[in-house]
Amino acid sequence: MTAVYVVLGTIFGFILSRSGAADYDFIQGMFLFTNLQLYGIMGVAVLVGAPGIWLIKQRGRTLAGRKIDIELKPLHRGNISGGVLFGIGWSLAGMCPGPILVNIGEGKIYALAALAGALAGAGVFGTIYQRLQKPFALPALKVGTGEG
Amino acid sequence: MTLILNGLPPLHWALAGLGIAGVTLALLLIGSRRLGISTGFEDVCSLVLPAPYFRRPAVVSGRPWRLPLLCGLVLGGFLSAVLGGGWKPTWALGMFDTAIGLGPGGKLAWMFVAGLFIGFGTRLAGGCTSGHGIFGLANLERPSLITTLTFMAAGIVTTQVVYRVLFPLAGL
Repeated sequence: MTAVYVVLGTIFGFILSRSGAADYDFIQGMFLFTNLQLYGIMGVAVLVGAPGIWLIKQRGRTLAGRKIDIELKPLHRGNISGGVLFGIGWSLAGMCPGPILVNIGEGKIYALAALAGALAGAGVFGTIYQRLQKPFALPALKVGTGEG
Repeated sequence: MTLILNGLPPLHWALAGLGIAGVTLALLLIGSRRLGISTGFEDVCSLVLPAPYFRRPAVVSGRPWRLPLLCGLVLGGFLSAVLGGGWKPTWALGMFDTAIGLGPGGKLAWMFVAGLFIGFGTRLAGGCTSGHGIFGLANLERPSLITTLTFMAAGIVTTQVVYRVLFPLAGL
């Protein structure tokens, strides 16, 4: 199965690279409303993904017959405060998490610094999770803030 | 508008959106996995950090599929460059270069700080553009709608401030 995930990641990375989703100028264009390419991409992905996910959940089984079982994301105060911090970072870097990795693959050297920062940020978050739980009304440690 | 990568023309947005939906659905149908990249940062952290948060089953059990997916993203970017005019290391950053023109050291510092916001913010929010913005919205999850509207708004405000106020002032 490892190879399947590498292949799916490669296809995803190729599309992000060629569509503008991993391009600093297209990201700024989206936030400046001077280029609407990425709104179109996200809109189509969600509108096509929604009935697809519904159908697969109706089927209830993976191709190999395993039960489809996905965790829903919990609601907590971190959704908004974390969303604000992430939005600032996405704008400054011109990359969200997937495109950081795609840009490294493309040879954009500065993306390595964005990855170092992102790993440090996630590392600090996990290390102080128990101290953030109360102020941000975060779920129990076992649950976490949400996978994905 | 062309890509920074070798000045390539971008894929049509509808085609790109369809492709991303295809990958999302394939992950679910093949592996019962929900698309989400930022949890992968936790997976990487969990390889070296001992905090209880990184020992959770949700993190440790996700590593065997999410780490290969992350490696694929790097490979996809690499192939995209190789097949699209050639791969070479670059510092090019499009309109950032035109507006402010920081050197390599300045760019590394800028990107590291931005990365801190991304890493801490996505994990506090419980997901990023893929997990909340694509899968969560398509799966009609309310926390994902709240988070997506929030990070889109924060991105819009930040870019507007940076490009309409901060950089013009710095250029004076």
